[in-house]
Amino acid sequence: MNYENEKIINCSEFENSLTDYLDKSLDSKNNKACAAHVLRCPICHDLLNSVKHSIVACGEIPAPKVSLSRLEAKILARTMPEFEMRCEEFEENLTNYLDGFLPATVFHRWERHAALCNSCENLPGEVVRSLATLVSFKSDEIALPEGLHNKILQQTIGTIEAKTKKASIFSQIDEWIRGLSIPITVPQLAPIAIMLAFAFFVITQTASADGSVSGVYQQSFELAQQTYKESSKIVLGDKLLINPASREPVQGTYVSEENKK
Amino acid sequence: MEASRVLATNEGVDLVRRCRAGDGAAWEEIVSTFSRRIFNLAYRFTSSTESAEDLTQEVFIRIYKTLEQYDSKHGDLANWLMRLARNLIIDDYRHRQRNPQNTYAEDVDDHTFHLRAVGGNAQNEIERRELAKQVQEAIDKLPTDLKTCVILRDIEEMSYQEIVDALNIPEGTVKSRINRGRIELAKILRRMRILSL
Repeated sequence: MNYENEKIINCSEFENSLTDYLDKSLDSKNNKACAAHVLRCPICHDLLNSVKHSIVACGEIPAPKVSLSRLEAKILARTMPEFEMRCEEFEENLTNYLDGFLPATVFHRWERHAALCNSCENLPGEVVRSLATLVSFKSDEIALPEGLHNKILQQTIGTIEAKTKKASIFSQIDEWIRGLSIPITVPQLAPIAIMLAFAFFVITQTASADGSVSGVYQQSFELAQQTYKESSKIVLGDKLLINPASREPVQGTYVSEENKK
Repeated sequence: MEASRVLATNEGVDLVRRCRAGDGAAWEEIVSTFSRRIFNLAYRFTSSTESAEDLTQEVFIRIYKTLEQYDSKHGDLANWLMRLARNLIIDDYRHRQRNPQNTYAEDVDDHTFHLRAVGGNAQNEIERRELAKQVQEAIDKLPTDLKTCVILRDIEEMSYQEIVDALNIPEGTVKSRINRGRIELAKILRRMRILSL
């Protein structure tokens, strides 16, 4: 190997070139000189390793975690203080927030207050834990005191032997009758029912003197029979012999003045 | 003690019809179905076993006398009966608050928490009893209006509208009292060190 052209550097020169050496930005000659010096000098060798570890360690430091919502809340509080929420308003809207009923504008102001206010920041969590405690509390039912059941029976039906108290047949029938009802389940049918009742009333009052349905039919038959007889006599050329009495209108029907003549 | 069972609508109607006719067994079934639930509700308001027991009896006497008024068209038996019970218990509670001399014992009864065992050892059971006692004490520290709304909403699980109907106050007032009651209860529980941060 030819060592005549090899450059030799001292510790000070190595330290000055250390960063360039690690960055591999030295020219070939100086790079070889640094490498040769590190091999020969244990102090600079240790220095090189220390610097390498430091660089790695610096790369592993996590970036500072900044709560963006808190930061954003701080910025907005500084720049738009008129939109800040008071603690009283924050508390008033707590249940609505938990229920998801807050409108968007109030929701964001509420959350900003929760992020910034030291006296309110723990309140939502406490209320939620309090509600969870109540859920556990209500599931722990208290046992009925001994004898309460019998006391109630004694005070209401007069005996603790409830099964011995039977319903009488009359009261059973009474309850059965009470249970019978014909409800009009569709209220819209009520006007129709009234109209039908009215129509029935009108028909029975105008067509039948006695007001009965059978009377209406009976008088209809009589009118039809009379009309048929008169028509058949005219067709057959018979003299129209009609008993004046028979021309009297059937009771309960209307006859115009012309027909009377 | 068996837990309250759920009655079907037609089952409730049949029970009431039999009760009206004078059938003792039907009334006994109604008592055994609802007594535990009504007693527990009464206890939430009174914090005293004896008072809750007396109140439960009064409620059942009232129910027995008003069975004639029950109409299945207005809801099933459980709803009608619990609505009546709630109204009576709330009326009683409000009356006692207006007349402090009638107020039941201030301290929560030590002997009342015979909680249902749901597994676990004796130590857990003791801790559960102690916690239940402390929570009841915290509820008792709430102002009257807030306590009523918190019990009806968060323990009885009634809807806002049901509370409006039961208390006969506007919906906005109900919501506001529930909100304030929850916040106050959380603060009380924190001061009692029941809520861990």
